[in-house]
Amino acid sequence: MTTTEHPTTTAAASTPGAAPGSGGAREGVVQVRDLRMSYGGATVLHGIDLEIHRGEIFALLGPNGAGKTTTVEILEGFRQRSAGEVRVLGTDPARGDDAWRGRVGLVLQYWRDHRRWQVAELLAHFATYYPHPRDPSELLALVGLTKQAGRQVGQLSGGQRRRLDVALAIVGRPEILFLDEPTTGFDPEARRDFHDLVERLARDEGVTILLTTHDLAEAERLADRIAMLVNGRIRICGTPAELARRAAAQAEVRWTAPDGTARQERTADPSQLVWELHQETGGPIADLEVRRPTLEDTYLHMVHQDDGHGDGGIAGDGTGAGAGAGSGADAPEGKERAA
Amino acid sequence: MRGTEMTPAPEATAATDTGTATGTATATATAEGIDAEGAAPGKAAAGSRRRSWRSGLLRGRIELRHLLRNPKEMSGHVINVVVALLLASYLHGKVPGTHVPMAHLTLAGFSAYLLFQIGLVNLPQILVTEREEGTLLRLRATPGGIPAYLIAKSLLVVAMAFGTLVLLLGAAALLVDGPLPHGPDGWLTLLWVSALGLLAVVPLGAAIGAVLPNPREALALIMLPTMALLFTSGAMFPLGSLPSLVQKIASVFPLRWMAQGLRSALLPDAARAAEVAGSWELPKVALILGAWAVAGFLLAIPLLRRAARRESGSRLSERHRKAGLSGSQGA
Repeated sequence: MTTTEHPTTTAAASTPGAAPGSGGAREGVVQVRDLRMSYGGATVLHGIDLEIHRGEIFALLGPNGAGKTTTVEILEGFRQRSAGEVRVLGTDPARGDDAWRGRVGLVLQYWRDHRRWQVAELLAHFATYYPHPRDPSELLALVGLTKQAGRQVGQLSGGQRRRLDVALAIVGRPEILFLDEPTTGFDPEARRDFHDLVERLARDEGVTILLTTHDLAEAERLADRIAMLVNGRIRICGTPAELARRAAAQAEVRWTAPDGTARQERTADPSQLVWELHQETGGPIADLEVRRPTLEDTYLHMVHQDDGHGDGGIAGDGTGAGAGAGSGADAPEGKERAA
Repeated sequence: MRGTEMTPAPEATAATDTGTATGTATATATAEGIDAEGAAPGKAAAGSRRRSWRSGLLRGRIELRHLLRNPKEMSGHVINVVVALLLASYLHGKVPGTHVPMAHLTLAGFSAYLLFQIGLVNLPQILVTEREEGTLLRLRATPGGIPAYLIAKSLLVVAMAFGTLVLLLGAAALLVDGPLPHGPDGWLTLLWVSALGLLAVVPLGAAIGAVLPNPREALALIMLPTMALLFTSGAMFPLGSLPSLVQKIASVFPLRWMAQGLRSALLPDAARAAEVAGSWELPKVALILGAWAVAGFLLAIPLLRRAARRESGSRLSERHRKAGLSGSQGA
């Protein structure tokens, strides 16, 4: 898979108020090229390309088993990749030293550590590892845990615990923050509080954020840009508005053929298709339906389609060249560009 | 015929919409982000070393405070001491061939055993638990976190060992007329045997903690051999009363030599008549404990490194999932 000049790259550079001090040039905080990952014989990442800019919230969206966590762990320096080029803050995460670690913050899904420590005590302790830490009590206020400062960490609710994890992750003033499925298992209120916090961090603090989620609504709500990762491939990437536009660019036309079979086709020009159908059938088209798919339709479609191959999160074929997903995904590219 | 048949073959229409498999093209050059941090690497490294020492010592102090305030864990340590005292108060008679009370031999042996236990039972348990909860991973994600962790744990282990010895020997001396070192030589021997004994078992314990699967299994796996050694190493009764094969096997492990070294510190010199060799064999004690320390370090360093490297978010969630399935742990 070659790196194609993608229309979304430039359009995405429109995050207002971000990139303090970086002047006009956008710096790639995360740069990933042709990242591949295999375990044993199974390939979980088939050549991923990513570029995340300073100050943006970037969502890696995909179903369970798509390779999100694997990707993030490679970026965090916790996992060795099989192939490809990866730079986070200009450094290969596999060789990240302490100075690099100090510029990266991360929040994992299931941290249950330090349960005996008091909230304020733990945060103050972790501040001592960094050269220019934030003020712990200000940070507690920022994540809304001032009232819980004296509590034991083990007594916090799930949402409070995750906000403490965020506080711990940003106490050293990192330039980038990785959030892996941060709101899994949250009730709606905890989720909303968490979303507000993430937005505040990006907007007020200028922290670049990469979050993974399987929830499209969450990605749309938070992200400046979304990359959809399905079965180890990034299938589409852009701002939520762009994605919605591109999803709708291909209208879905359904009708019933004269022999009684239900038919459907996707096209950028439904009017033309319907006109041709008229010509072919020479009369009214039975059960004609023209529909512009939403982003959600597109997402579910991609997820569902890959499920259809019956191989869950791991594709058996390393190259993907022969797989339906690979060829099916590449073929319509020209058509889409034309649209 | 136009279009695709809808029902049976969804793949046929697949990905006609948005399906470019390419993500964002990387147009910018990669060689930008070298910035201020790289300006004075030597100075920055020295600063971070100092920071991780300070953080480690601080961490050790906080962990110690948590230990002291945790009634459940403290009672575990105190019970050991109480058992030793009860045992000593019930034991009568002399060590065969000497005028030394049997209780003194047992108390010296128990002191050695408690040090042994701190290194090979308590420490691995702490390590496995903290590995499983994600403490190790969080510190790995923190600059200087792993060195600070090791410093804190060393501090904690030394404090636990010191506290246990003081408690056991102090209480024994006050309550059951227990043994105390005779003169400066005796204190010095107590100090170096304890220190070298800890050095022999702590790295080994760290290595065990790095490989054991989970806290519950860990306890079961370590307790049995440890208890077996307690009864075969001459800690509870004279080694000479055991079959020679048992003596030989027990002599491979550090506990025998720790107990012998502590007896030399705590019992009068005449008591060496009851030793297998008829003497304290202090050079041999030093040699064998030193060898265990070296072997332990050689084993522990790669194993700990591997354990830290293998930890990741997905391993944490995997364990979380398993714990959830067995229904024991809430989020």
